[in-house]
Amino acid sequence: MRFDDLAPSGEASESPLHRLDSRLKLVLTIAYVVGVVATPVGWWRVMAAEGLILSLVVGLSGVAPMILVRRWLGFLMLVGFLAVMVAPGHPDRASLGVVTVALAILAKNSLAFLAMMVLVQVTPFRTLLAAMGRLGLPSLIVSTLQFMERQIQILGDELRRMVQARRSRTFRRSGRLDYGLLTGLIGMLFLRSFERGERVHAAMLARGWDGTVRILDGAED
Amino acid sequence: MHIPDAVLDPKVAIATGLIASGGLAYGLRTLRDQLRDRTTVLMGSMAAFVFAAQMVNFPLVVLPASGHLLGGVLAAVLLGPWAGSAVIAAVLLVQCFLFGDGGLTALGANFVNMGLIGSVLGYAIYAPIRRAIGGHPGILIGAMTAAWFSVILSSGAFAVELAASGDWSRFPDVLGWMTLVHAAIGLGEALITGMVVRFILLTRPDLLEDNRQPAISTGSRWGQVALGGLAVSMAVAIFLGPMASSQPDGLEFVGGEKVKFLPSEDLAQPPRITAPLPDYEFPGLSRSRSAATALAGLVGTLVVFGVGLALARTFAGGKPSPAQGWEGIAPDAI
Repeated sequence: MRFDDLAPSGEASESPLHRLDSRLKLVLTIAYVVGVVATPVGWWRVMAAEGLILSLVVGLSGVAPMILVRRWLGFLMLVGFLAVMVAPGHPDRASLGVVTVALAILAKNSLAFLAMMVLVQVTPFRTLLAAMGRLGLPSLIVSTLQFMERQIQILGDELRRMVQARRSRTFRRSGRLDYGLLTGLIGMLFLRSFERGERVHAAMLARGWDGTVRILDGAED
Repeated sequence: MHIPDAVLDPKVAIATGLIASGGLAYGLRTLRDQLRDRTTVLMGSMAAFVFAAQMVNFPLVVLPASGHLLGGVLAAVLLGPWAGSAVIAAVLLVQCFLFGDGGLTALGANFVNMGLIGSVLGYAIYAPIRRAIGGHPGILIGAMTAAWFSVILSSGAFAVELAASGDWSRFPDVLGWMTLVHAAIGLGEALITGMVVRFILLTRPDLLEDNRQPAISTGSRWGQVALGGLAVSMAVAIFLGPMASSQPDGLEFVGGEKVKFLPSEDLAQPPRITAPLPDYEFPGLSRSRSAATALAGLVGTLVVFGVGLALARTFAGGKPSPAQGWEGIAPDAI
């Protein structure tokens, strides 16, 4: 997980899926993920159909498959580990065999994961948040996430600067237990973000903030 | 690393989802009354902080692998239990939607494990200890103990969710193995949490001292003590549980699992280094996994407490000046 991953990756941002209403995309993706997860192991045709739908969507979206594959590989080991752990207790293991069940779990997970990744690739996070808010996610959470999204970039830069400052002054590679330095880094990060939060809050109060987020018409799309 | 999609049984996913949304809704209502218009701004920046703090990698002593802070207890100590859990919820949502870390259908389970157990239950362990010891050492030792317990309790909850998704026959083994591994991961979490808390106590103690917390009524104080006691007894039960169900093939099972699974799970690496006794190295105890698990629990508690005491000695000889703290701890981070 890196901050670079947060940068909008859509140069080819003019696929039909990019222009689709973000609420529709969100609802369809959630429905797809829930559907995939709820598909019983052994319904191979349904799973194949789901895979076909996903590959169609990936093709439509114009997202470079390499991006998806890279992300997918990152989680493959963890999911495989959990699948192997769960499969021996699965009710269908007797009829299908443990290996098949584990592979089916892995496949279901991959479909759900890739669907989420495609959604994020064709929808900017800000738009996605607005869609979540209009679909009924509590406004407190939505606005917290909106603030978080803005601050993550700033904090990421700050963290990078602090790490650079540390590197340029400690004059050695961190190999030994320099937990003091690293925890100091985290503590400093906390102080800065806390104080920035307070400053931002004061600045917003000065501009008439009363606890509700207002968005200009059309700004959320 | 969070629970991904399709691993949990739909029933478990729905049940944990209900618990999670109930807990989150209650927490948000409490928060709205406490922080009012400051809520969103402060929680947004705190969520960004936890997210960024998880990216600071800590080198492990022997292996080239590295671990990172989980931050549930840290957030709760800094912001209070419900704000802490809401912050964790925000972090989980971003990780799920932006990075695919943690499944959409497992969001509930992840929030139960890390937000409700990590922050709320962690705070319930932290608060009584802090009150019992008092002062800055109390804050420090309470935070470290809570961090350690919360990691173990989260892993216990995860074991329960896994067992409920499959069958319960292997539950004692999975639980014993999980807690053993996480007793060691928890040591790292406790150490990092403690050192960050110590840093903040040295630089901005006002953020952690009592005047910032809303006054707690006697009723809820007793509730906290009860919750803390419950959490500790749960932890004890987790350690003693494997003892009670001494299956004959328990040791072979766990031994086989360890060999087969450990290399493939990155979270499982840290314990090998940090744990004082991850591989049952106590000669007389190698026959009994349950005794080793219980002993790991005991030793872990003592280690966390001892390191906490050692760190707390900073505060023994009068309060150091803030400037000293800034220069002494992170000279180049400023």
